[in-house]
Amino acid sequence: MSAPQVTGQPTSPLSSGQLVRLVAAREISTRIRDKTFIASSVLMVVLILGVLVFQVVVNSGSDTRRVGVAGGDAQLGAALEAQAEALDLDVEVVDVDDDAAARTAVEDEEVDAAVLGSGGSAPELVLREPDSTLEALVSGAVSAVSLGQVLSEAGVDPADLPQVTVTTLDGDSAADTQRTVVAVVGVVVLYSLLILFAQFVAQGVVEEKASRVVELLLATMRPWQLLAGKILGLGVLGLGQIAVIAAIGIAGALAFDVVDLPGELVGTVLWLLFWFVLGYALYASLFAVAASLVSRQEDLGSVLTPASLVLVAGFIVAVQAAGDPDGTLATVTSYVPGLSPMVMPVRQAAGEVAPWEVGVAVVLMLVAIALVVRLGGRVYSGALLRTGGKTKLREALRAREG
Amino acid sequence: MLEFDGLHKSYGDNRVLEGVGFTVAPGSMFGFCGSNGAGKTTTMRIAMGLARADAGEVRWRGRPLDEAMRRRIGYMPEERGLYPKMRVGEQLTYFARLHGMGGADAARAAGEWAARLGLGDRRDDPVEKLSLGNQQRVQLAAALVSRPEVLILDEPFSGLDPVGVDALAEALLEQCRAGVPVVFSSHQLDLVERLCDSVGILARGRMVATGTVEELRRREAGRVLRVVVPDAAPGWAAGVPGVRVVSESRGDTLLELAGGTDDQAVLAAALRTGRVTHFAWREATLVELFREAVADPAQQTAREQVAA
Repeated sequence: MSAPQVTGQPTSPLSSGQLVRLVAAREISTRIRDKTFIASSVLMVVLILGVLVFQVVVNSGSDTRRVGVAGGDAQLGAALEAQAEALDLDVEVVDVDDDAAARTAVEDEEVDAAVLGSGGSAPELVLREPDSTLEALVSGAVSAVSLGQVLSEAGVDPADLPQVTVTTLDGDSAADTQRTVVAVVGVVVLYSLLILFAQFVAQGVVEEKASRVVELLLATMRPWQLLAGKILGLGVLGLGQIAVIAAIGIAGALAFDVVDLPGELVGTVLWLLFWFVLGYALYASLFAVAASLVSRQEDLGSVLTPASLVLVAGFIVAVQAAGDPDGTLATVTSYVPGLSPMVMPVRQAAGEVAPWEVGVAVVLMLVAIALVVRLGGRVYSGALLRTGGKTKLREALRAREG
Repeated sequence: MLEFDGLHKSYGDNRVLEGVGFTVAPGSMFGFCGSNGAGKTTTMRIAMGLARADAGEVRWRGRPLDEAMRRRIGYMPEERGLYPKMRVGEQLTYFARLHGMGGADAARAAGEWAARLGLGDRRDDPVEKLSLGNQQRVQLAAALVSRPEVLILDEPFSGLDPVGVDALAEALLEQCRAGVPVVFSSHQLDLVERLCDSVGILARGRMVATGTVEELRRREAGRVLRVVVPDAAPGWAAGVPGVRVVSESRGDTLLELAGGTDDQAVLAAALRTGRVTHFAWREATLVELFREAVADPAQQTAREQVAA
């Protein structure tokens, strides 16, 4: 089919893939130097680090405490550890040679506290600074030890004493809370990036129309190639950004010891990335089609409002869903295309969502994307090509609305 | 041959083109003239695939233009369009690549064209920082950077200073000499007359005249004689048979001779009034040809009826 090429001709026919890649590459190289993009990236990283630091500060009370036990009283050491376990505190028991060495250890800040004269009748607790938690812990341990001694001297087996049996009804609750926190932080990031990158797409579309460069572009390619290149290019950039933020978040969370369950955390983050891709595909297409109707940046706000409102609604419902993940509102909206990318990851993190539920939400979302791309693509082509008639199209739409 | 053949286009009831056709030979320059709204831009947009013709087609080397062939055309739209925030060099490279050039080739061609059009030191500036004249040069470079086989330029000279006009004219002539057919529209008829091998005049969606400027002149029926007789009394030529006085001002007289009238009889009549400082057939300028060609026939008929 191809016509014989004249020798020395510098060009070769371009495939659709090559054109789309060229457009995408331009979008990336332009945006990556864009001030808004750089500022937003820095802001996101600062935000994530801020959240981590906040978590560390809030949790700093539960840092591991080192308690020295003079004379290496194994019985007291075991009791201290048992008490710490019961009170959900991190305590490390350190054996110290004698009372003098124990005092020095506290002064030298090798340990946070030391128990002196533990074997005798007047044990003493030396603290570096007042710490009521440690006081209670040590007194509890010391009483437990002496009580045990008294009982055994009296010939009573401690095991005969009444024992409280503990039954936890919601065993996973701590882990769930942690995952929900991650999901909410993730949804904040996801929502911000969805809005940001869909806006980038819309601005790009209007820029090309306003500057009329679109006429030059469409002389070399079809509208869908231009649209696909734009959405893919910015999408790759957006995905890259959210992945970097996720990596920083995970690494930071593990480094600062904010979360205990790396596996669960990574799972939640991967689901967030997955939903970002779907959400971006839908919103970028919607925003691009809306933007193609106007030819000035000033008019962009009005045409983007409907789609933006859906996005905002999804975000609000998602935050609400974090508190009530099994509520009707959260359950229903987690299927609704456009809302699901924000609500479903929260539900997935918070509790049991059956795989079929996720499947339904994904399928509905894909159907919505296909519809927007098909119908929107037609509007986009029409509006772009009608450089002179674009206002007519807009007037037509307005007339239909009015 | 670049052939525009029987193009029809309507927007609703507004019939913009009604059978526009002309051909441009490789290595020749075609000047596309016509009043505002005559349909020049629509014709060019149809060639570039930006508007769809209701009927007719544009062919290059005998084949209707398709997407791949359009990538071999350098195009300059009437509404100038560039990415305002993109740097000149990057922008030219991008357009060269969209037309199918390889990365290194495109960058080299972008550099060459920027230098040739006097933009060498502005290559790293964003387009929006350039003056309008320089933006126009970038626009032209964008049309030329991919070494196109065909050039279609809508009003390429508008907005250029005389130096820019000369630079552009030189660039276009060079393309022509390399065998590229060039079509450009312009209201600057002196430029069209100077540069173009052939001219097409479009009025009300139809080609009312096509050919070389010479051919158009020859086709022009009424022959005009300019006679300057400083000492003559007003109305000196009124009595000469077969002569209609077009205008007369202090002896500077334009006369239209009916067919078969002897110009020597006119000269004799002029000499009788005294000195004759100028006596010559006057060549119609393209401007006059243009006015004649685009004049609304309805108005013309009405005028003739009034005169009769």
